[in-house]
Amino acid sequence: MSASLLSRTALRSATTASLFRPTARALASVATSQSAPPVAGKQAPNIKKFEIYRWNPDTPDKKPFMQTYELDLNQTGPMVLDALIRVKNEIDPTLTFRRSCREGICGSCAMNIQGSNTLACLCRIDTSSTAPVKIYPLPHTYVVKDLVPDMTQFYKQYKSIKPYLQRKNPPTSGRENLQSIAERKKLDGLYECILCACCSTSCPSYWWNSSDYLGPAVLLQSYRWLADSRDEFGPQRRMALENEMSLYRCHTIMNCSRTCPKGLNPGLAIARIKKEMALA
Amino acid sequence: MASLFRNSLRTAAASSFHAAPRVIARPAASSAFLRASLFAARPVSAQPRVAALHTSQPLRILPAGPLNDAVPVPEANPTNGSFHWSFERLVSIALIPLTVAPFAAGSVSPVTDAVFGAAVVIHSHLGFEAMIIDYIPERKNPTARKAFMWGLKGTTVLVLIGLYEFQTNDVGITEGVKRFWKA
Repeated sequence: MSASLLSRTALRSATTASLFRPTARALASVATSQSAPPVAGKQAPNIKKFEIYRWNPDTPDKKPFMQTYELDLNQTGPMVLDALIRVKNEIDPTLTFRRSCREGICGSCAMNIQGSNTLACLCRIDTSSTAPVKIYPLPHTYVVKDLVPDMTQFYKQYKSIKPYLQRKNPPTSGRENLQSIAERKKLDGLYECILCACCSTSCPSYWWNSSDYLGPAVLLQSYRWLADSRDEFGPQRRMALENEMSLYRCHTIMNCSRTCPKGLNPGLAIARIKKEMALA
Repeated sequence: MASLFRNSLRTAAASSFHAAPRVIARPAASSAFLRASLFAARPVSAQPRVAALHTSQPLRILPAGPLNDAVPVPEANPTNGSFHWSFERLVSIALIPLTVAPFAAGSVSPVTDAVFGAAVVIHSHLGFEAMIIDYIPERKNPTARKAFMWGLKGTTVLVLIGLYEFQTNDVGITEGVKRFWKA
């Protein structure tokens, strides 16, 4: 009853809003939900250049190139993703990139901005300088188009570490697998990973040996299951890393921890796997 | 203008990704050496390479099989895995007291000298081995990998023989370094 009341209120308010703003649909198609409302002729335009990597698979013989777009920052939202969406909507609809949640939880918009891998939705447009913002796809990935990298190998590697709870027997109580608060705490800093691949594609070891080395993101996930008190296949998980390539190509370069847009520390997780494997 | 964009959008949508690219773009600049070795077999184009951005032939890093299958897990071998890693750390840690000992003690013993010499050679061997594994991938250059590995083994043996000679017929490592330092 109360739910239906609520929804009816919501519906009514939505209708009222659309009555007062008849152009709402036209605006919505522009999709710059975060762009500042235009101030007519009041502010001097604050032009910023965006240099964006372009490559089209339909013209494979044409080399990748950098295309420059100019945006008025007064009309644009604060994040690089806002700028990209504005470019796509208003200047060049052929620009291709992945985006979904625009709040750093889906990991789709991972790209190389101003020389470091990050999520476009969490990266502010640098207003401190007039230098153009340079945007590339994630380094050392095969590019599908423009800013869209091929993530196949990354996902195949993720699958290889069996990223799910493995147990020999179901819990005797017939209910959930229980865990103490202290045991749960061990997963903090691990479960938050969104698999955006910023860390893996910033790792030189992964650049050179991505076919064999699992890379920081997948290893962090591997440790997430090794550290889980409910998982009973720790020894098997460790045995899967007992070779010279899967884990031990990590030379603690620590680009992974430096670049992680979620502030996680894959380098530490890898160090803990190495310690466990040496001592267990 | 708008219709032009719409047309190009339509073409992009029409060509499916699987059918399309034989050439694939890679954003980062790899070293001239790597590029030379990668493209030696099949040159992409005759144009001179002026920019860092380039396209490349797909390297077939993906193993055969459906795209949704996991990558194969290599055979477990702790000698190449955790034992190797622990051994590396132990040798590195042992080198610290071995380096300091002769200077702290103020005298040179042939035994510590010999142990130090052996540890340095093992340490360097492991380091160079890691570099070869990193930079000369077996999947691209199996012959070069083999050649470099045997070259490293040969060099290590030669250095060990040389150090043995230096140790038995000359002044020894520590004394040698001392004299070189003061020369």
